[in-house]
Amino acid sequence: MPEIKTQNFSAASAEAILDPKLRRALDRVAEGFHVARLDRIEEVTQETWDGWKDQAREIKVHTIEHLDYYLDLLDKNVTAAGGHLHFAKDADEANEIVAHIVRTRNIKIVTKSKSMVSEELGLNPVLEAMGVQVWETDLGEYIIQLAEETPSHLVAPALHKSKEDVAALFSEKLGIPYDEDIYHMAATARMVLRDKFMEADLGISGANFVVAETGTLVIITNEGNGRLCTSAPRVHIGITGMEKVIPSMQDLSTFLRLLPRSATGQRITSYVSMTTGPRRSEDEDGPEEFHLILVDNGRSKLLADPALRESLYCIRCGACLNICPVYSRIGGHAYGWVYPGPIGAVVSPMLVGLPKAKELPQASSLCGACREVCPVNIDIPKMLLDLRKKTAESPDSSLRSAPETERILARLYAKLMSSPRLLKMAVKFGRFTQKLERMTPVFSPLTQDGKWIRNAHIPILSRWTRSRDLPTLPKQTFHELWEKELSRDDS
Amino acid sequence: MTTPKSGSMPGTPKAEFLQSVRDALGRSDVPPAEAYPRLTETPAELEQQAAQMRQRLEENLPALLDKLAQMAALGGWRVHRASGPEDAIEYIETVARGAETANVVRSNQDVFNQIPVDAALTNLGLTVTTVLRDGTTTRESLREEIRRSGIGITGADYALAETGSVIVLPRKGLARLVSVVPPVHIALVQAEDLLETLDDLFLLRRLEYHQQGGEMGSYLNFITGPSRTADIEMTIVEGVHGPKEVHMIILG
Repeated sequence: MPEIKTQNFSAASAEAILDPKLRRALDRVAEGFHVARLDRIEEVTQETWDGWKDQAREIKVHTIEHLDYYLDLLDKNVTAAGGHLHFAKDADEANEIVAHIVRTRNIKIVTKSKSMVSEELGLNPVLEAMGVQVWETDLGEYIIQLAEETPSHLVAPALHKSKEDVAALFSEKLGIPYDEDIYHMAATARMVLRDKFMEADLGISGANFVVAETGTLVIITNEGNGRLCTSAPRVHIGITGMEKVIPSMQDLSTFLRLLPRSATGQRITSYVSMTTGPRRSEDEDGPEEFHLILVDNGRSKLLADPALRESLYCIRCGACLNICPVYSRIGGHAYGWVYPGPIGAVVSPMLVGLPKAKELPQASSLCGACREVCPVNIDIPKMLLDLRKKTAESPDSSLRSAPETERILARLYAKLMSSPRLLKMAVKFGRFTQKLERMTPVFSPLTQDGKWIRNAHIPILSRWTRSRDLPTLPKQTFHELWEKELSRDDS
Repeated sequence: MTTPKSGSMPGTPKAEFLQSVRDALGRSDVPPAEAYPRLTETPAELEQQAAQMRQRLEENLPALLDKLAQMAALGGWRVHRASGPEDAIEYIETVARGAETANVVRSNQDVFNQIPVDAALTNLGLTVTTVLRDGTTTRESLREEIRRSGIGITGADYALAETGSVIVLPRKGLARLVSVVPPVHIALVQAEDLLETLDDLFLLRRLEYHQQGGEMGSYLNFITGPSRTADIEMTIVEGVHGPKEVHMIILG
């Protein structure tokens, strides 16, 4: 698996939020994808859209509840079509399967179309260590590979790079003159990769869906690199998570309507490519061998947890990223692992281990926008709350995300708020200290302008008041007002 | 990474993997209690649905052809409604003149019997290669011809009004690469290729699969407009790895 940096979420997000270039890039994505998505929904009507969403969810619920049955059916039909299905319990095993195929088929050059699961597995370094040339061919992935970085978005992996960044990168790595014309840069990628498609022995793709009924792998793409990767080399390996299976070919209609509209605001992508086994003997071209690798790699933990199971319905459209007030300010890298944004904050902790990623469930204002845009109605905020609960209530103190002082304060606060007598006493005490502060303006650790508690200089409070202001106590509390008014009415 | 045992394919055996899934689901090996509706129809039932579908298409043909043209244009196709074979050929000649290429490759599909493009293109001085393996043509030489070609011409196995897509089912005579490698792709759509919705298409695919005893061919591709990317600053660039220019000629 690639390096896990989820532990650094606080520091990384604090840094990212101050990066104006990143902010501009994220704004572009929000405008581009999100607005187009809304246009597409308006076009088909909200009612139709909601109907599609319900259908999609129904299909996913059914499939995941019977995942063993459909994996078995898929295996039978991939095999019947002349392909090979492999099950991998973790990243190492998946990488070993690919390595074994590479070794036994004497593979030297690999072209890859976009696959988030292969990012999750950390496949490229494994292949490179074997002396194999690996070429990412999706333009965004190609840029990321040249820059030796990781994707920052599920759909637009290089969104954090400006055209100047890419021009400098191409100039440095490809030895060409600096040229920041986006059309020229895309043409350069076409030229460089064209030969690689034809020379490659192995094409690796992900899968948006795999159809159990027919053993078919479906990829949804725009650039054409996916078509080339699945057509030109003599071996094709598809790698995906075990949750991507759907029962029937006819289930695809619903997902093909939802996914492009949710992801990029397109009615349909330029290409939808469906592979069923290797090329048949009479075919003009296509791979001689077809392998499908289905990966668990922590997914069974999500499956086993009723509160988190629905995260496996995700079709990786990225709509929740584009709408999220947290993602759209900090971008993908701050999340510290392959899957960013709201869905990443649910999935990553379970795939890399909650102790390492305990801060991610906090990366949400629980505003619910992610739930609203999800094409399969996944209740992400509910799952984030569940994960927060798991971290807060764990007997293992290393799992808890809040420092011990915060927990003690919260407990005291709970005591205070549940006892009217204590609350009254506290208010009186508070007023007294505020009066003292006003009398000694030189020493005033809490209040500012006599109105707000802002940037308190007391260590345990300062983390709170750094980003939040508290009003000072009013002259009269609601309780006191109520008692006064009530007694007047009675008289 | 640990070194795999020599000779044997690494991975978890299916039985073990499925058991771990069952363990996670907290139950034993039981199939779905209720049969899944989209898996249970018999070929006869699917055939009946397909017959109803064909009737619906026939009744709405002119409107659906309009819809196809409209959606295709929205998807980025340059759409030409041809009045007849001569008109279609004239259009192809115009495209060929603008394409700055000496080589054209075309699939070997029935539609070329009605639209004989070879003579017209040869008259323009172009070399036309047909996807046809015989004694002298191998897969390798065919691939080289496709790479050399500036234009690829194919028929459509289906055309989808809902999305404005051409659907190709690569097979003998129809190489996968002929519609993706050349920078210009021309797709010839006949009225009988028309389907209305995605559901229509997948119904027919399932029907074919089951009628042929579990065989549906190795590949299917939807093509909707040119190849495109927005990976640099969300700026849409056409023709990144696939064709930059795509023409849909609708006959009928």
